[in-house]
Amino acid sequence: MKKAGYLKKQKEKEFIAALGAKARVYAPCLEDEAVLFKPVEPDSVICLSRPAVSSPKSAIYPQSETLFSFRFKKDSEDPRRTLVELDDTIAVPDTIIFGARPCDARGIAVIDRAFSKTETPDPYYLARRAKTTIVTLTCPEPSTGCFCTRVGCGPAETSDSDVMMTELEDGYLMEALTSKGEALLESPILEDGTAYEAQAKEAQKAAHERMIKEAGEADTTPVDPETFHSQVFWEKAAERCLGCGACTYLCPTCYCFNITDEQVVDKGERIRSWDACMFHHFTLEASGHNPRAQKALRLKNRIGHKFVYYGEKYDGIIACSGCGRCIRGCPVSMEISTIAAALKKNSGTVSGEQ
Amino acid sequence: MNLEKLKEIVRTVLPSVDVVIGYKKGLDALHPVPCFLTSPDEIDALVLNPACMHNLAAYLPSLKNRAAVVVKGCDSRTVVQLAQEGLIKRENVVVIGVPCQGAVSVRKVLSAIDHQPVIEASFENDTVVIKTKKGEARLALRDVAPDKCLACRYPTPVVADHLAGEEVEPKIDEKTAYQEIREFDARSLEERRAYWMAEFDRCIRCYACRNACPLCVCRESCIAETRDPHWMSQKATQNEKMMFHMIHAIHLAGRCTECGECERACPMGIPVARLKKKINMEMKELFGYEPGISMDDKPPMYTFKVEEEKIEEHKIR
Amino acid sequence: MSSEQLIAAIKNPYLPDLATVIGAVDETPNIKSFRVVLNDEEKMKRFSFEPGQVGQLSVFGVGESTFVINSPPTRMEYLQFSAMKAGEATAALHELSLGDQIGVRAPLGNWFPYRQMKGRDILFVGGGIGLAPLRTLILFMLDTRKDYGDITIIYGARSHADLCYKKDLEDWGKRNDVELILTVDANSPGPPIREGFVPTVLNEIAPKPDHKVAITCGPPIMIKYVLQNLAQLGFKDEDVITTLEARMKCGIGLCGRCNIGSSFICKDGPVFSLAELKRLKFEI
Repeated sequence: MKKAGYLKKQKEKEFIAALGAKARVYAPCLEDEAVLFKPVEPDSVICLSRPAVSSPKSAIYPQSETLFSFRFKKDSEDPRRTLVELDDTIAVPDTIIFGARPCDARGIAVIDRAFSKTETPDPYYLARRAKTTIVTLTCPEPSTGCFCTRVGCGPAETSDSDVMMTELEDGYLMEALTSKGEALLESPILEDGTAYEAQAKEAQKAAHERMIKEAGEADTTPVDPETFHSQVFWEKAAERCLGCGACTYLCPTCYCFNITDEQVVDKGERIRSWDACMFHHFTLEASGHNPRAQKALRLKNRIGHKFVYYGEKYDGIIACSGCGRCIRGCPVSMEISTIAAALKKNSGTVSGEQ
Repeated sequence: MNLEKLKEIVRTVLPSVDVVIGYKKGLDALHPVPCFLTSPDEIDALVLNPACMHNLAAYLPSLKNRAAVVVKGCDSRTVVQLAQEGLIKRENVVVIGVPCQGAVSVRKVLSAIDHQPVIEASFENDTVVIKTKKGEARLALRDVAPDKCLACRYPTPVVADHLAGEEVEPKIDEKTAYQEIREFDARSLEERRAYWMAEFDRCIRCYACRNACPLCVCRESCIAETRDPHWMSQKATQNEKMMFHMIHAIHLAGRCTECGECERACPMGIPVARLKKKINMEMKELFGYEPGISMDDKPPMYTFKVEEEKIEEHKIR
Repeated sequence: MSSEQLIAAIKNPYLPDLATVIGAVDETPNIKSFRVVLNDEEKMKRFSFEPGQVGQLSVFGVGESTFVINSPPTRMEYLQFSAMKAGEATAALHELSLGDQIGVRAPLGNWFPYRQMKGRDILFVGGGIGLAPLRTLILFMLDTRKDYGDITIIYGARSHADLCYKKDLEDWGKRNDVELILTVDANSPGPPIREGFVPTVLNEIAPKPDHKVAITCGPPIMIKYVLQNLAQLGFKDEDVITTLEARMKCGIGLCGRCNIGSSFICKDGPVFSLAELKRLKFEI
């Protein structure tokens, strides 16, 4: 079994095509100017040079999926009655996420806990998760808004991936981190990687140092409860928020969803689709009552979930991987990193916002 | 754009309002952000440059009290439209107009500098100077202007209680404003359909375009999600996505002021503003109407005529 | 076991059990109760729950909504749910007729801590359809009557017509081991009972907190004042229990709607003591 393989850059296409022959490959593809995680097709242009706009969570947790289908049928015994048949069988393809960043892989690890460490594990998510192999690329340079090291992740973080690939001059060192990863490296296209290991280690170390310089070391200071529960703090923090929700859809750790029935004549499906806690109507009750009627409360919930609530359930873990997508994707440049930092102080304001 | 003049105006206006909405420095020089001034101490933090893209008029309907707002030409049309539709009271808003020499699209700048993180950005007349690790890039404002600016006919605000700077003449005439749409329209139906289907394919139905739109007012009643009527499913199919974008565009017929916030907010980079522009072109041709130009206008979809001069399909021959 | 076998063994928490409507009662002009049995007889026989737990009812093609099971676990001929017509799902439920097929996901959530209430006096304070969860516990306690001390029920609605479970109210009014106080808002035509809002009536009755547990449910504004008044009457936060509702979708603490901080009303609730709510910094 190969622990480390070397993928020459000129063989990248061939390697991905070979992976594609046995599984569905999700990779960052160039679409106009946007880099998006998508199933790779023969004419896809894979772009590893900058972080993708969207996260690869859709490979495991799709934008919309069928929970079960239902069909109405006349009761043959009693034609006045209509019976219902339900079918919840799902087909799950083997999937390889190729070219995730460590923050993307961390995002999946965050969602993993929510969908599995509960009394009612989610069979849809877990079935796809079990069939997914994550190949992660060491992040060479920080992008605008990146702050992964501050939340305990890092550009060369290996803990959430199956294979770590590190870009070297004319190729990538691919290191298996799990047995799934080892299986993936069983390919005649790869050369033996042992000779490149030292070089890759250097590159990973350098990437880590660059990020620390940019974003700082992990900040383990707890959130100040008084600041966290201050209405004034959240009103100020949310002032310019348009409530557009783009942040939640781009976020690799967000997993709020909606469930709706879609029916055509005598059959239909119950669908689960992405939803966003930043929307006013997300918590709007049929009576008209809304427990999170103001955007300040919605922002508090979103950031509270990542930096307080999730950790209360799962050993203090932060449900933010510092990928910076919400910052880059925000039309008014809301900075979750700044808000999170301000939450740790008892100053009552969003620092850098005054 | 005259920052000093703007500060002077804000200083005068501030005592008479609860808040002044302007721009301040954001995460880097290319990303200024909206700010809400309530005290004179904050005035020095104001910035004004071509990266001040946000349509600040979008905040007006959610404000309860008297506010002053800094608007470019395009944004001023939103103020007019909001007032016309009764979504704001004109007398509650002090409009500080900023004649606009052109703005920059962050997306186009990033594309021009190969998506490098911006270390420094500065603006000189018609040039944007961007410093990245790879060096300095000098970009002509025209080359990195958002599409909406290339067709702008109202660089000077159409309504303003104060004007921060000299009026700016529009650089293009009415005909050329819709040139891009006419060229696109000249393509075959199949080509256009294929183009839009490919664009909509990457829509993640986050509705940022709708939520950032200052004139989308339906909130929880938006047909994209409402169950009654239940017109659309939540499935992520191309058809559903297309349906949403078409309805979004058509609901803005005769209302869209072409501020481009929908397109700027779209995280997937779908040129959604182009759909609205196409509808506006039709509105102009059919009804001779342009949204958000005059406070006294009534949008054509808000009125009814037994006989429309330019609509003949219904006439029995 | 392989991971695939493990996953195959997971009970799908989203898949409802099919059930049949065997009874429907008009409680008020806009509240209807439904009695349902699971189609799978074995499952129905094995079905168990605790008073206060909720269920999700599906009208296929329309969707799901959450209701408390308001028949007690001591009476298992059917499960009863009551729905006030408000949104799409409840409107569809109101259209159901006997024999219709629906989906049931139950039981979900936590329950009233009745074991800790044994031997104590119980005060129920309810308003409108908020009597539904209390009904479960009241009937359960009446079925196991010797386990509890005095039982007092204060219940109010806008008008006589809006009082739910009229048959139960009649029964409880006749019992001498239950004290029932009914109230309606002013100017309601009907038999003479008290007039006034529930929190006000609570203050007039002024029950002594000694040895008592108070359980309340009703519209948010009523709960808010009842909690305040109970505190003034000297009830300890641990001895004041309420049950909350919120917009829910998944019912398993995942979809993100009904959380109060890190607790989910659908899973960690709907039953909370006032002490817990204060700890969660929840404001009604």
